[in-house]
Amino acid sequence: MAGTSTSESAEETRAWQSRWAALRLGPRVRRQLLRAIVVAAIFLAFCALLGALFGVGILSYTLAGLRVGSIVIVAAIGLSLIYGIRGFANFAYGDLMTLGAYVALLVNLFGGINLVAGFVVAFVTLGAFGIVLELLIFRRLEGRGPVAPLVASVGVGLIIQNGIRATASTQQWNYDVTAIGEIPIVPGLGFHWIRDFATLAIGLSFMVSLHVLLKYTNLGKAMRATADNLELAKATGIDTKRVRYAAWAVSCSFASTAGILLGLIAVVKPTMGFEVLLLIFAAVIVGGIGSPYGAMLGGLVVGLSQEMSVPLLLWLGRPEVIGLEHATAYKVAVPFFIMIGVLLLRPWGIAGRQPAFAPRTFFVERLARVLRGKRTSAERAEGDGRGG
Amino acid sequence: MHADSILRVQDVQKAFGGIQAVDRCTLAVFPKSITGLIGPNGAGKSTLFNIVAGLYRPDGGEIWFNGARIDGLPPYEIVRLGLTKTWQIPHELRNLTVLENVVLAAKENSGEQLLNLFVRPRRVQRDEKQWRARAREILALTQLDGLANEHAKGLSGGQKKLLELARALMSDPAIVLLDEPVAGVNLTLAANLMDLIERLRQGGRTFFLIEHDMNVVMNRCDRVIVMHQGRKIAEGTPSAVKADPVVIESYLGG
Amino acid sequence: MAIDTGLLTNIGFYVSIAIVFSVLALGFNLQWGYTGLFNAGIAGFFLVGAYVTAIAITPLSQPLIIGGVTVVPGHLGGYSLPFVVGALLAMVASGLTAALIAIPALRLRADYLAIATIAFAEILRIFAINLESTTGGTIGLPLIPPLIQYVPADPFLSAVTFVAIGGAILLALLLVLQFMVESPWGRVLRAIRDDEEATMALGKNAYRYKLQAFALGGAIMGLAGALFAVALLYIEPSGSFAPAVTFSVWVMVIVGGAGNNRGAILGAFLIYGMEWGSVQLKDLAPAQLRDTIFYIRIMIIGVLLILLILFRPEGVLRERKRALR
Repeated sequence: MAGTSTSESAEETRAWQSRWAALRLGPRVRRQLLRAIVVAAIFLAFCALLGALFGVGILSYTLAGLRVGSIVIVAAIGLSLIYGIRGFANFAYGDLMTLGAYVALLVNLFGGINLVAGFVVAFVTLGAFGIVLELLIFRRLEGRGPVAPLVASVGVGLIIQNGIRATASTQQWNYDVTAIGEIPIVPGLGFHWIRDFATLAIGLSFMVSLHVLLKYTNLGKAMRATADNLELAKATGIDTKRVRYAAWAVSCSFASTAGILLGLIAVVKPTMGFEVLLLIFAAVIVGGIGSPYGAMLGGLVVGLSQEMSVPLLLWLGRPEVIGLEHATAYKVAVPFFIMIGVLLLRPWGIAGRQPAFAPRTFFVERLARVLRGKRTSAERAEGDGRGG
Repeated sequence: MHADSILRVQDVQKAFGGIQAVDRCTLAVFPKSITGLIGPNGAGKSTLFNIVAGLYRPDGGEIWFNGARIDGLPPYEIVRLGLTKTWQIPHELRNLTVLENVVLAAKENSGEQLLNLFVRPRRVQRDEKQWRARAREILALTQLDGLANEHAKGLSGGQKKLLELARALMSDPAIVLLDEPVAGVNLTLAANLMDLIERLRQGGRTFFLIEHDMNVVMNRCDRVIVMHQGRKIAEGTPSAVKADPVVIESYLGG
Repeated sequence: MAIDTGLLTNIGFYVSIAIVFSVLALGFNLQWGYTGLFNAGIAGFFLVGAYVTAIAITPLSQPLIIGGVTVVPGHLGGYSLPFVVGALLAMVASGLTAALIAIPALRLRADYLAIATIAFAEILRIFAINLESTTGGTIGLPLIPPLIQYVPADPFLSAVTFVAIGGAILLALLLVLQFMVESPWGRVLRAIRDDEEATMALGKNAYRYKLQAFALGGAIMGLAGALFAVALLYIEPSGSFAPAVTFSVWVMVIVGGAGNNRGAILGAFLIYGMEWGSVQLKDLAPAQLRDTIFYIRIMIIGVLLILLILFRPEGVLRERKRALR
């Protein structure tokens, strides 16, 4: 500005620099980013290999996997927020997604407004609904352990799903979007504007905005602290009540978006959310309970494993192999098997932390010992006689 | 010196989430003794007890009991070998009666095997009768016999502590690890409890107890071991330990 | 699900299905009410029992192909075994299935166990829907022979027969279960429910007891499935074995009081009574409202779940105090 002295402009420059420094990526973030780039590069190389071996058509499954994965990621982030900050598995989550999809349907089909407005209206409505749920029900279940709110959430889900059925009937709807046709990027690999581009873009932008929320806003930092250690957060003066309501609002808003995306690539029907609920749980568990970043990873694993199992299932369905009937219908079971495997071997998921005071798991210990061919300590002790 | 110990902890380590709770701890307890384990808060005493009893698995080191190595064994096998532990904060079984709490601690009750219920019903009845009688004896010892049919959740804090001891005695252990047996218990009851422990010791049992009440430690323990920051820093007779400057510093500075 | 010719037959149907749900509730009560294992996959073990029984006792059914289109896929079967054998096979199958998921899942915290079991139940349902030549696919298994085939077919007598036999089975099951939970073995289960770590510290191998309780509970649910097959004479995968069944059983046991076997039976009769009652109302209602009543009924289950958990989690009836002599 004209007329400022050199000292003022130097101060401005310093202020600018400190703001930039706050955003600048520290060494740890740089390392994580590098890791992510390496993983992405490996993934792309793997896709290229698949394409070379089986033809480009196979990559349509990869694309489907990324598409489903994006929706699951958005949903899983919301679910893991509640799991981390309120400490329970929200079994109403699928039906909250459905609710969001129907709110958007109302705006889009019956209001005659563009679906983008539907996104926004649903986002806000579901956010408010989440706050109401905490206020009416889940606030009172504080300190009762993980099962009580789980059961209550099952009740909430039943009410939402059947309320929708009662008012909107069980027929299937589709959003009113002018679908621009397929864009052939690579021959044989159709890339659809709405189905693929919108889903991936929205998924990515939600991931980024969540990251910004958690890392750079005060609310986000408060949420992380509360998820980590509730008592400590309270003791340091964080308004954990506000954090809780915020968590519910963000969680349900994310659910609404995921629901609308699901309605976009498939149909809108009362059971749409509940049908994918277990898939989203699988993502959260595989990624690590309470870690939104784990949820992102888990969502990717779930989406890709489900869709990329289709060619394998088709092969199994051939009469000369097993002749598995309706082979592709089993694709939804693949993420479940992965989830059960994770629960078996590493219950805290990829990005979760191993609980410090985990009770001993004698079955796994004994199994590990047997596999390694060692005798148990008791057998060893009795065999060795009196010790010094 | 260690050849005649009943319990020997050798170089045991345990870390929890970055904190070294037990840091190469080595100590020994001798038979028919009342040995005290003291130390400032956070010294790792309760953690050590949990490791010895098999509830946590040590990261390293060895634990020997009556000449057998017990580290890595699950708690139910360690109880079977003759070592029991009480909880610092009572873990009473809330919805069971006091008598049921104690009968449960019996070592070999045939009725607890599902198959026996159907193929050996008479033996099940016999065992159960025998164990109930024994449980009543122990309840009488710990002055809980009037409360035998009360649900454990209705007991007072001091009574719950007594229940802990009764359960620990039921399986006829050679050594009992007591985690603050008289904390929160009124003075008369505490004295009775320690008298009981003394009588039981003379009957051949060993007691290893964590206590913060210095009266108990000074007057009742033959030997005292001091832990600080996860390891043993001193041991000896109560008066020797009391005067040890290292010990005094740990309590003041720790 | 329409059978009724006559009010008595209708009531007989209510009692029959209530008996089936009572058996389910007893199985869940053993797992959760007495041992503290929260099973969210009840529908899965129910399904296994029903299908195993149906396959075992149903005579052969050929696929029906009209004009190249498979109208009825047919199913595995043709063994025509007596019901007793079918029921025993069902119990073994369900018990083994329960043990299979229990071995990894039992060491998990309660809510993880719920997620694992509900996922497992869904996997079973996916198999039931898609393994067409074995399970009949979405059509399912029709023409299951009843306990006693009356000639000429008499729905009222069939209903009475089922109530008599099913009721006897239920009573026997109740007596056996009461004997087991009052025993020292049952005492260990209740101890595990109260505090598993303390129970281990007292010298019990908690894992083994949990496995036994879970597997037995699963076997009982298999028995319920067997009874269901011969009550309904037709099983199909989508409606009867959906998660809503699991949630209904939860309500039944919570209403009756967890850890109270007679309460579980009472809860089953109450809650299923409400469902059956709403179906009767449905037929009386004007056409537009019919389906709505169906949905409202499920919403009421949801409301009950929330209210019970908030205000009366210990149930309407309470567990008896046990005075040992």
